[in-house]
Amino acid sequence: MATIKPSGYSKHRKKQTYTRRLGTRATPMQMLFSERVGGMGALILVIACLPLLLSNNYQYDVAITMGINAIVVVGLNLLVGYAGQVSLGHAGFFALGAYASAILTTRYGLHGALALPAGALGVGVLAYLIARPILRLSGHYLAMATLGVGVIIHIVLDREAWLTGGPDGMYVPTIEVAGVPLYGGAIWYWIVAAVLILTVWLALNLIDSPIGRALRGLHGAEVAAEVAGVDTTHYKVMVFVISAVLASVAGSLSAHFSEFVTPDSASFFHSILFVTMVVFGGMASTFGALIGAALLTLLPQLLADFSGYEQMILGLIMMLVMIVMPRGLLPTLVGLARRRQREARS
Amino acid sequence: MPPVLVELLQFLFSGLASGAIYALVALGFALIYNASHIINFAQGEFVMLGGMVTWVLLSQGIDLPLAILGAVAVTMVAGLALEKLAIERARDANVVTLIIITVGAGIFLRGLTSVTLGKDLHALPAFSGNAPIDIAGATLMPQSLWILGVTAAIVVALHVFFHYTVVGKAILAASHNPLAARLVGINVNVVLLLSFGLSALLGAVAGILIAPITATHFEVGIMLGLKGFAAAILGGLGSGPGAIVGGLLLGVIESLGAGYISSDYKDAIAFVVILGVLFLMPRGLFGKRGTERV
Amino acid sequence: MSLLRVEGLGIHFGGVQAIEDLDFTIEAGTIHSIIGPNGAGKTTLFNLITGVYRPSAGTILLDDTPIAGRKPHDLARMGLSRTFQNLRIMMNMSALDNVMVGRHLHLNRNLLACLLRLPPVTRGDRAARKLCTELMDLVGLSAYRDADAGSLPYGALKRLEIARALAAEPRLLLLDEPAAGLNAQETREIDEVIVKVARSGVTVVLVEHDMKLVMGLSDHILVLDHGRTLAEGTPEAVRNNPAVVAAYLGTV
Repeated sequence: MATIKPSGYSKHRKKQTYTRRLGTRATPMQMLFSERVGGMGALILVIACLPLLLSNNYQYDVAITMGINAIVVVGLNLLVGYAGQVSLGHAGFFALGAYASAILTTRYGLHGALALPAGALGVGVLAYLIARPILRLSGHYLAMATLGVGVIIHIVLDREAWLTGGPDGMYVPTIEVAGVPLYGGAIWYWIVAAVLILTVWLALNLIDSPIGRALRGLHGAEVAAEVAGVDTTHYKVMVFVISAVLASVAGSLSAHFSEFVTPDSASFFHSILFVTMVVFGGMASTFGALIGAALLTLLPQLLADFSGYEQMILGLIMMLVMIVMPRGLLPTLVGLARRRQREARS
Repeated sequence: MPPVLVELLQFLFSGLASGAIYALVALGFALIYNASHIINFAQGEFVMLGGMVTWVLLSQGIDLPLAILGAVAVTMVAGLALEKLAIERARDANVVTLIIITVGAGIFLRGLTSVTLGKDLHALPAFSGNAPIDIAGATLMPQSLWILGVTAAIVVALHVFFHYTVVGKAILAASHNPLAARLVGINVNVVLLLSFGLSALLGAVAGILIAPITATHFEVGIMLGLKGFAAAILGGLGSGPGAIVGGLLLGVIESLGAGYISSDYKDAIAFVVILGVLFLMPRGLFGKRGTERV
Repeated sequence: MSLLRVEGLGIHFGGVQAIEDLDFTIEAGTIHSIIGPNGAGKTTLFNLITGVYRPSAGTILLDDTPIAGRKPHDLARMGLSRTFQNLRIMMNMSALDNVMVGRHLHLNRNLLACLLRLPPVTRGDRAARKLCTELMDLVGLSAYRDADAGSLPYGALKRLEIARALAAEPRLLLLDEPAAGLNAQETREIDEVIVKVARSGVTVVLVEHDMKLVMGLSDHILVLDHGRTLAEGTPEAVRNNPAVVAAYLGTV
């Protein structure tokens, strides 16, 4: 067998100068540009200022949907972007979370604040049970299996009308906290914002930890990670469950915010939409995921004016962006900026 | 024959007919996968285009055989364009990116069809009437015979093409070892283009054959595409015989499941079976096994 | 008690018997080389010992504990570490992070602690970063501390493999052709690193084609041919073994 040069080898041989001494603390300037400090700061700033631009309920709805999608996508990015495991079925977990909240509150009188964690727990257990056999698969076989899980969930939600209301979906009552109904964009904006900020913070922490390196490592060279002591199956299962739970939480939030759920939230295309958000913004980039979620939530709204043509344009944009920027928006832009910087220096 | 057996035979007939359709779609997946390791999620849209374009040509007063030829041609143009304009420019992208490109292409084709041909449901006339044929008490529609016959003919034609023609052998060679194929002068891009054209043809034929039974619609390709993918995976990705067996098996299991268990869950059964098989055989029924070299 | 004992080991792939009825022992604190022509089964043997492959026959004992068939990550926990002949570098990570993955077992991997970035995690990471940087210095990668693994030249990647394996602080280190593709200067540096590692008490098993390196370093040499033992002993004994000279060294 021929010796295969590692991919990426010989592309840029130039030694890179390093800016940060290792084992030391970062300077304030470097912290400003780091993801955890600078990135989180920017995110909080954007979230805090955005309401100044929102003038009506519709705009609040779009902003909140962005936030809900972003929660799913940040989680999915851990699985797809960092650990390199494809899932074409995460809308199923999103929908299960939504229906858990809807069913537990309407049919069993549980409070929404309890229904959400209950749903998340249920989805977590389900994800844990199917993760082991599913994650033995790789590549397109994994894509098929996750797709299958999503489709099965979709069909069950659609058919079990006695419980789920069937294809027409079901209403979800307004949550009340201490007698105050949680209703309207202004309230939900801040609820979703808080959950999103927490999610991003947890995700950034996880990525920059031994677990995060194990996930990236098993993506980059699975045998090498195994040999280094990484129980790759364990970590694949772990990140699968985490991403499913985040999808479930987002689903619950969506159910309570929109006060309505339909089986279509579990559809194959909803799953594809989530994955597209991950890839659009840039795989293995949490802030890329946020940008992807925001753009692809906004896009259909902008296209709504092109009555009839919105599908065509959406499909075209998906293809174009992926052809021109196969690595996604943020990594491509960062790469361009770096190259410009390097050229300027030399 | 006892009614129980007649019923079983009936389920088998309908299962084999839809299974043959799945097999054709699965063969389309396998062809493109072999040439490029890409899963073409727009495969279902080829099926849809076949049916829809045949319908629109028929409605313009064109004869059925000519309409079919026209529909196949239009679908093949779509397949070739997809390869030339999108896939060829993104060959080096990773699996997920390529999936999104083909899904995007599918959305685009659906949108294009709904804008130009409308969103209504259309039935094609059966090729040779609707007089049911009685076999041991079970009925078989002439269209089912058409499906089985045409599928069998295509399978034979593909076999001859891949094993006895220079072009077919070149495609096979390129799928086994692209680098070696390039070294002996096979143009891998042309092979890729051919495989998309051929897959589009298979999809269109499947769509035309099934349209008299299930009617056609701009979204009919979604489920058929997913089932075809499932059949290809069931047989083992990239295996021609696997795709055929996977398709037929899926059709029969689905039909039996719908008949004996629950017709509500007809579509789910296929995916439950797929998951079960993958859990036991992670590379499908006929997929390549082997130890990864380290 | 030997550190590693292999008895009647065999594996076949389809009809090909890659390793057949192999016996040998490795004593703690030695440098043990495995040589033989291409296709003799050297890498396969590494894959068997480190749990990447499951043997079809025989036993492998680490400290008298049978380990055949155990998962690689379990064996890593027991003190095994290795490099790969066909590089297995995580190209999606920085060079330093590659080494940090090697440190995995020594770090706090509690999910909650990692999610909340509790002090034990940050403290452990900081210490690990320092240690891994030192390991990179040791193998001569100081220039690449912050570089992406994908931007390293071939010779540097070989050393990165060694640094990653060392980060686990193994008791038994298996090096698969560490000097292949390196120039004379780089080979000398690798030679020094191996000696340094062995002196620190790590048992080293080496697969290598560079005979000068092997003869100079090894306490014990095992010669494989077609998956079987052709000869075994000190470098002196192996060098003078007629079978080895005929089958292997004679053809060089």
